[in-house]
Amino acid sequence: MNDVIKIILKRLGLGLVTLLVISVIIFGAVEMLPGDIAQAVLGQGATEENVAAMREQLGLDRPAVERYFDWLGNALTGDFGKSLVNQKQVSSVIAERFWNTLSLALYAAVIAVPIAIFLGVLTALWRNSPFDRVANVVTLTSISSPEFFLGYILILFLSVKTGYFPSLAKISDGMSFWEKLDRMFLPALTMVLVVVAHMMRMTRSAIINLLASPYIEMARLKGVPGWRIIVHHALPNAWAPIINVIALNLAYLVTGVVLVEVVFVFPGIGQMLVDSVTKRDFPVVQACCLIFAATFIVLNLAADVGSILTNPRLRHPK
Amino acid sequence: MNYFVIAYYALLIGGSCLAAYYQKRTPFLLLFSLTLASFIMGIIGGEGALWSVTIAAGIIALAAGTSYAFREFLVIVLPREMSKTIKTAPLTASFGLFVVMTYAIAGIFAPVIAPFSEAEVVSSAFAPPDQTMLLGADQLGRDMFSRIIFGARNSVGLALLATAIAFFTGAVAGMIAATKGGWFDQVMGRIVDVIMSIPSIIFALLLLSIFGTSIATLVVVIGVIYAPRVFRLARAVAGNIVVMDYIEAAKLRGEGTWYLIRKEILPNSTAPLIAEFGLEFSFVFLLVAGLSFLGLGIQPPTADWGSMVRENATLVSFGEITPLIPAAAIALLTVAVNFVVDWMLYRSSGLKE
Repeated sequence: MNDVIKIILKRLGLGLVTLLVISVIIFGAVEMLPGDIAQAVLGQGATEENVAAMREQLGLDRPAVERYFDWLGNALTGDFGKSLVNQKQVSSVIAERFWNTLSLALYAAVIAVPIAIFLGVLTALWRNSPFDRVANVVTLTSISSPEFFLGYILILFLSVKTGYFPSLAKISDGMSFWEKLDRMFLPALTMVLVVVAHMMRMTRSAIINLLASPYIEMARLKGVPGWRIIVHHALPNAWAPIINVIALNLAYLVTGVVLVEVVFVFPGIGQMLVDSVTKRDFPVVQACCLIFAATFIVLNLAADVGSILTNPRLRHPK
Repeated sequence: MNYFVIAYYALLIGGSCLAAYYQKRTPFLLLFSLTLASFIMGIIGGEGALWSVTIAAGIIALAAGTSYAFREFLVIVLPREMSKTIKTAPLTASFGLFVVMTYAIAGIFAPVIAPFSEAEVVSSAFAPPDQTMLLGADQLGRDMFSRIIFGARNSVGLALLATAIAFFTGAVAGMIAATKGGWFDQVMGRIVDVIMSIPSIIFALLLLSIFGTSIATLVVVIGVIYAPRVFRLARAVAGNIVVMDYIEAAKLRGEGTWYLIRKEILPNSTAPLIAEFGLEFSFVFLLVAGLSFLGLGIQPPTADWGSMVRENATLVSFGEITPLIPAAAIALLTVAVNFVVDWMLYRSSGLKE
């Protein structure tokens, strides 16, 4: 068991290092602006005094390394500085929006994961049947469509033409839980469509890989009934790939929401990121990017750790 | 009950009986499950649901017919070696080829096909379709159809350029890393790990916020984001080839790294690399479309599918499908490329599950 803890600690350490490097990139990218932030934000027409004043306010006279550690230290305690556009504390705005984004992702995941795994296993079991062929074409189409296409189709048919669901996902604190779920249904469904397709394909290939292994063939040859092969022989080894698939797709859900949030005007962190990119509000961009990257890395780490824990062979690497 | 509904069920049931009589299992299952599903849909959705099933079936039949005819056409036109491989292609792949060719023609001959130029204001905003404007006008009164045709040139061209850059740098670096190994391999590997651990759209947004949204930066940024994926694949493919005996022999002859890559590794890794190019293209195309949709891609007045969707999105709330046409154009091309890639991967891997 000690080995496992060691490997997992190693992975976590590696993840931490990656995160640090990414924070350097996110901070350094802004440093690479032609001129500096003050000049970029104020534009060509700014007077010398204005630029100097802004530089002082942002503390640009200090060396970049010092500012980086300041920024990182503050970010770790949840302080991302002030927005350049409206002078509000970034963290106060982000916290609520991040929560919204997470709940949207969770909503989609709760619907998508069971459906995707169930259908994925079915396509693997009935591979090359008409059901599998149709599923292949449908999932490929759904993966290949841009999220905003799916989103607008859903708006057109489920909201404008039939009026089943609201087309704009504006939510506020005063709403009841069910009301929020109703408002968030279409964006969640858009993401479900994309994620289910991805997960089905990944589950299918994982299971097919497994069913091709010799010990399954052996079980089949000695006359074990089909369901027993799946439950007793295939499933214990299938957990690792399935956990992997789930974690990877959760990572997609959290980062892939940007377009969906814009389509449905959902008050999440993705829309905020897009807004601040067009306004060149760098502290907000940095904060959003850091949060997205961190979530992505954590979920990928979870996928790694999950597959280590469920796969004996990975527990004892050569 | 009217004639349409009666004919609809008669056709389905008759079809399934025929399939059952001739012992065709797959068509029978498809037709009969469609019949059963139609009962339920007909009860819930009424005649409208049955009409949409009919239209969907008609579209699928049309697509299948086109792809069948196109495949036969290719078999006749192409030289013998190539026509042999085309003959075994599934219908989806030839459908993909057909769509790709159509887009290429639309893109190359855009000024000839399109009735108006892309930035020309020809009528009032959101004018409905008529004889001169097949799809009506957009939010500034420009011809929607012409802009979609020009979009084939701009959007696809940009994505192709970005993919080519990403693919070239990634593939070359990957092959050098595999042949040379050592510190170059290590350093590139770590850089690639870091870039790939940032979600691509987030990274693109970060870089575009800093370097602005000119076409040149867009292409370079996308190149940086997608080159690592190609690097990994190229390195893995080349890594399998480098250990072969003929590489050893070439090395003993005293050939340099560049010769090895060009003459020994490249010819042996074309199949997976071409498939990867297609896959990469669809990723890049979707990312570019997403960025233009967010207003950060190709800037107006240049026609571009992503931004066209955003500009005309208000029409959706009036139940119009015009803004969905450019989005559908994006989806159709990506699907088509994926179909072709699927077939190529299947062929090159020899998977016979």
